Amino acid sequence: MIIRKKYLFYVLAITSSFIAAAVTGIDSFVGGQSAFKYDPWAFAFSLFFVGAIVTLLISLVLGVKIHGKSLGAKILDPSFKQLRLVKKSETKYHLVAGLMNAINTVGYCAIVSTVQDPSVILSFSQIVILYLLLMESITEKDVPTLVEVQSSVIVTFGAILASISLSGEFMLLPILIVFIVVNPTWAVFSIYQRKLKLMKINNKPNDSINIRFWNVVFSCLFTALLLFIFDLFTSGGHLMAGVTAVINPFYFLILALTMSTTFFSYVLYIRSLGMGKASVNNAIRASTIIFAIPFSILLLQLGIITEFSTDPVMLIIKVIGMVLIVMGIISFALTVVKAYIFVTVKTGRPLRETMQKLWNIRGVTHVTITTGKHDFIVKVSTRTLVKGYERIIRKLDEIDEVKKYHWESVLKDWEKI
Amino acid sequence: MISAYILITMLPGKTDKAIKDMRQLGNVAKISIIAGEYDIVVRAQVKNLEELLNVTDKIQMIEGVTKTTTQIIEKEISLQ
Repeated sequence: MIIRKKYLFYVLAITSSFIAAAVTGIDSFVGGQSAFKYDPWAFAFSLFFVGAIVTLLISLVLGVKIHGKSLGAKILDPSFKQLRLVKKSETKYHLVAGLMNAINTVGYCAIVSTVQDPSVILSFSQIVILYLLLMESITEKDVPTLVEVQSSVIVTFGAILASISLSGEFMLLPILIVFIVVNPTWAVFSIYQRKLKLMKINNKPNDSINIRFWNVVFSCLFTALLLFIFDLFTSGGHLMAGVTAVINPFYFLILALTMSTTFFSYVLYIRSLGMGKASVNNAIRASTIIFAIPFSILLLQLGIITEFSTDPVMLIIKVIGMVLIVMGIISFALTVVKAYIFVTVKTGRPLRETMQKLWNIRGVTHVTITTGKHDFIVKVSTRTLVKGYERIIRKLDEIDEVKKYHWESVLKDWEKI
Repeated sequence: MISAYILITMLPGKTDKAIKDMRQLGNVAKISIIAGEYDIVVRAQVKNLEELLNVTDKIQMIEGVTKTTTQIIEKEISLQ
């Protein structure tokens, strides 16, 4: 199927958000179980332990070849071939992402264990978009455009309004955990997952299934280590409680359910991270709040949660919040400028070196050496034409090997998925 | 696997219908409408040059296509 290229990015991010909303619903149920309710540490370890097993099994199934192509490549990520070991170049990124995910999950579990309504759980975590904008402007030397800042603020405020507790209750402790633990770790985690996705493994794009699998493995190891140290100093038994919970077949089953669902959400999220900045991805991910509402209603119907305010003022606030989220996402979607640059270079210079110089220009998404009239066809993506001129054309002018080039803006595009 | 860009020049007013036809072709991975010297860029992914010839042949048969320039990709770096 060939669909609009930008739709692919939004389809991936929004599908991931929808699945994430389902996961939050399931997590509320799992977190409410007696073994986990008062022990978020044990909950976090059990999640990753079972998650590592489930993710391994799913990844192995996805590695099965059908007509020469893996099942995973057909349905989830075209770059996936099979499960493989971590490359040396990936290790430090996996270590940081794993540690951040471990800490983030402990924080998340602490919230899930104390708050029952998924809409409440997601509260304020959307401010992570602003953390990401700040971090990206430092780490990627990419100062956000006015449109990006405006859209992010719209989405963030919309998310806060939409995720205010249905009972209108202000809970200080979960919000503090979100600000101090969940948001910073999620921001670093997202940036490092994106770095991994943008890496080339054996000259081919890194795949999101291997990234997810190894992230769960490293997160499990870090959670076990953190719990071991914590237990050692506090004489606690959280690690053992986690191991004991996993042995219980019922707990194993519900943990497997939540982690297998999470797998699909994350794989799509990681794939979309390879297509757009972490801040933009998280802004789209704010739509989870909207998708969480039907799951909240479902949980209410099943008697799993009991709180659900029908106060008209609260409902109006939530609707305003949702409208802001949608408007912010649309604003992001409509402000991308893409172009092809057809480049001819001077003879007598190594093409590979020129290729690397072109690739190093920020905003360049594809560089190809081609036969025929043009030596290089470069594809670029930028928020505004002004930024395109300042970031790309000026840099292109500085490359001595370039003889001539011409910029042709993309008006509309489609891509096979 | 061979990848190639096919740069297409169109007659005015025929682009929409041509895009519709190109989306039905096999071995087409990406299609972009662009503004400038060319009107459409198609990215083809084929097993061999014979298949590439089939794709360019089919594109040239589409009404409104006046010229195609095929650029075979020798090396690529990309985010995807």
